[in-house]
Amino acid sequence: MDFDITFTPEQERFRARVRSWLDAHAPKDFPDLADPVLLTEADYLKQRRLGRELGDEGWLYPTYPREYGGGGLSPPEALVIEQELDRLGFTLPPYYDSGGKLGAASIMVWGAEEQKARFLPPILKGRVRTWQLLTEPEAGSDLANVKTTAIRDGDAYLVNGQKIFVGSAHGADQSWMIVNTDPGGRRHQNLSWFIVPMDLPGVSWAPMDLLFAGNERGAASGLKQTVYFDNVRLPAFNLIGGENNGWKVAGTHLELEHGLMQTSLGRNQLMERVFRLCKERLRRGRPLASNPRTRDLLADMHVDAQIGRLFHLRNYWLQSTGRPISYEGPQAYLHMKRAALRTSKALHKILGPYALTTDPHWRLEDGHLETQQRGSIVAQHPGGTVEIQKVIMARALGVGRAAAGKPDGQG
Amino acid sequence: MDLSLTESQEMLKAAARELVEREFPKEVLLDLDASAGGFRPDLWGKLVDAGWLGALTPAEYGGEGGSLTDAAILFQELGRGPVPGSHLSAAVLGPLIVMEAATPEQKRVILTDVPTGRRILAPAITEPDYGWEPDYFTGTTASRLGGGFLLKGVKLFAQNAFGATHLICPAAVDGGGLGLFLVDASLPGVEVRPMDGFSSGDCEARLDNVEVPHSALLGGGAVNGWQSLERAMMKAIPVLCAYQVGGCERVFEMTLDYSRSRVQFGLPIGRFQRVQDHVIDIVNLLDAARLTAYEALWKLDAGRPAAAEVHTAKIVASEAYYQACNAAHEVHAGLGIMREYGLTLHTKMSRALYHYLGDPAHHKGRLAEALAL
Ligand SMILES: Cc1cc2nc3c(=O)[nH]c(=O)nc-3n(C[C@H](O)[C@H](O)[C@H](O)COP(=O)(O)OP(=O)(O)OC[C@H]3O[C@@H](n4cnc5c(N)ncnc54)[C@H](O)[C@@H]3O)c2cc1C
Repeated sequence: MDFDITFTPEQERFRARVRSWLDAHAPKDFPDLADPVLLTEADYLKQRRLGRELGDEGWLYPTYPREYGGGGLSPPEALVIEQELDRLGFTLPPYYDSGGKLGAASIMVWGAEEQKARFLPPILKGRVRTWQLLTEPEAGSDLANVKTTAIRDGDAYLVNGQKIFVGSAHGADQSWMIVNTDPGGRRHQNLSWFIVPMDLPGVSWAPMDLLFAGNERGAASGLKQTVYFDNVRLPAFNLIGGENNGWKVAGTHLELEHGLMQTSLGRNQLMERVFRLCKERLRRGRPLASNPRTRDLLADMHVDAQIGRLFHLRNYWLQSTGRPISYEGPQAYLHMKRAALRTSKALHKILGPYALTTDPHWRLEDGHLETQQRGSIVAQHPGGTVEIQKVIMARALGVGRAAAGKPDGQG
Repeated sequence: MDLSLTESQEMLKAAARELVEREFPKEVLLDLDASAGGFRPDLWGKLVDAGWLGALTPAEYGGEGGSLTDAAILFQELGRGPVPGSHLSAAVLGPLIVMEAATPEQKRVILTDVPTGRRILAPAITEPDYGWEPDYFTGTTASRLGGGFLLKGVKLFAQNAFGATHLICPAAVDGGGLGLFLVDASLPGVEVRPMDGFSSGDCEARLDNVEVPHSALLGGGAVNGWQSLERAMMKAIPVLCAYQVGGCERVFEMTLDYSRSRVQFGLPIGRFQRVQDHVIDIVNLLDAARLTAYEALWKLDAGRPAAAEVHTAKIVASEAYYQACNAAHEVHAGLGIMREYGLTLHTKMSRALYHYLGDPAHHKGRLAEALAL
């Protein structure tokens, strides 16, 4: 066995190229924000520009085929790009985008050739930013229960309804979504999957007031929105995978979202901060980390982080070597969610009220610790709740049933 | 044995619930949460009118002179809001410190103004080097100056200091000992600032060369302030626990209701055993917190030794409120994190009170002492 991710000399030469390219292209002095809601429009536009430039190199979505705007690169090369961005404090993509992360996977599998040619290059080259529109007031875990309707009307669909917990700050060019195309139809057989330009007449959105709106696995969203559809005429061309086939189309990306899309092999910045802080900060004249109880809590945090790292490392290995994978995606995701809550509590125990304050004079680590306290609560829900992760794992393992079934819960 | 409330306590509870529901609906609580320091004079007036600020103040000073259990019943109802603000400081811990530490003349002057709300007391105890043992309170100093004292220091995470008329500050008196000083918040050099964050009621109180008269030292020259402070805190803690119990109770009700009304996959989510687990966890936490708090209160009111019970109550209530909120968030998923729904008010409060008057680790240490381990 070998737990090191090793790179070939050729891949290391690629790393050197990526590094010097980033030196020239990545924005300098980019703010390290405690809460993504603080990201300014100007800085968001810098992220987008970096995305476009990465896209031109084929490095924004490196593993997609070149003919559609991807890089045609291998998983290790994609990891190199991610690691080099991570060094500079950026994610890949450098902004919240559900287009290449999830939507493109479904378009690749289910799109007709002319749809792939039209929709994939702008996504994969970073020309557009895409939100995902799944959740509705009556459809959370039970995604198949969506009530937003799209009714065929000539060469278009007429869309009416509402989506919640959607997207990010600073708007989107388009979204992908699941809606009901046969209100009288049977469950799972009445859904369809669309790409929606956000500038169509009748589409509007408004921010939700949430406890925190999330660093969803690297891609900071900052805000979540309610999106309204009021008699929106959506071209029929934008239907992917055929009418009433949306549940199958969604299956392609839901599986990804349930823990596979993010390998999380980057630095653990929170851990780095906390360990440094506890070694430097004094209580009664002695470093926090010298207290036996604090040492115990820090050791627990370290163990949690190692388990998470190893789950992700294993998943990367399974995926990049084409091995079968079943419950391991949600396992890693579930662990991250749970560990985040344990970390919040440990930090509260170690730092007391300092873990909670955003007071400009007294906050610690520029407010990153307070953000973690709110973020861990919110992190329990996206991409399927903790309970849904367990449902998916149990199905994948065949707990209590003869053969493994299909996951149902969503993100 | 009888674990029920007396008839008059039941009436008190019903009246308190009615007042909290009428005067502090969710919109008001959300607004209070967003306003600086969580203090609004108009709402303060409602608590004064209801006579709640005098709950513990002896009748000879115009208060109700009630038992700790009576006060706890009120505070449990406030915790259901959760109604934030100065009430615990101004009606419980503040007056208890004065009763423990002050001279008869000081009591008359100070306590007479407590039930009327003219004096809003806020103990400002902890400091930047945060902790609840007495040697953590001595970064603030009191040097003798003429007939009075010169106070210097920073009190941090002082609950509800914003909006208070008087702070009660422990300080190291030169020559030795801990003094408890009643500091008029309008004196030159006193600066109180609310602190923001995922917490509630935290303030910074700076004492920048504040000159106070000799009469500001509670107890007329006493420098054994820790003993008085400790006795007062041991009485205030189970009342604080009752507030946490009220929070747990409300969080339980919200979660139970939601488990019945929210339908996914064609079923009320409460039919899923994973959801049931969370609701069951909450009721277990709630009942444990309620019983430990009220047993401690009963012992204190009966004049029995109660140290172990008080520490136990705070350990249980702090964990219960914190964990009940987490479990409620699991059940509510997306809805629970929308501020307008109101659950996050409890989550925030559960965090603020987790360490206030000592976190569970602190009280576990004290409990072990009380058990002569
Ligand atoms: C930060 C954040 C970002 C998000 N981003 C997006 C986004 O970009 N796009 C989007 O469309 N949505 C997004 N969501 C929405 C998210 O997908 C939903 O919140 C989530 O799927 C849960 O749905 P719900 O909130 O309606 O909870 P519900 O489904 O109503 O769940 C309530 C409770 O019931 C439990 N439950 C439900 N079904 C079962 C079952 N079968 N077995 C056991 N327990 C069950 C749940 O676990 C939970 O405890 C986001 C949410 C958050 C918090």
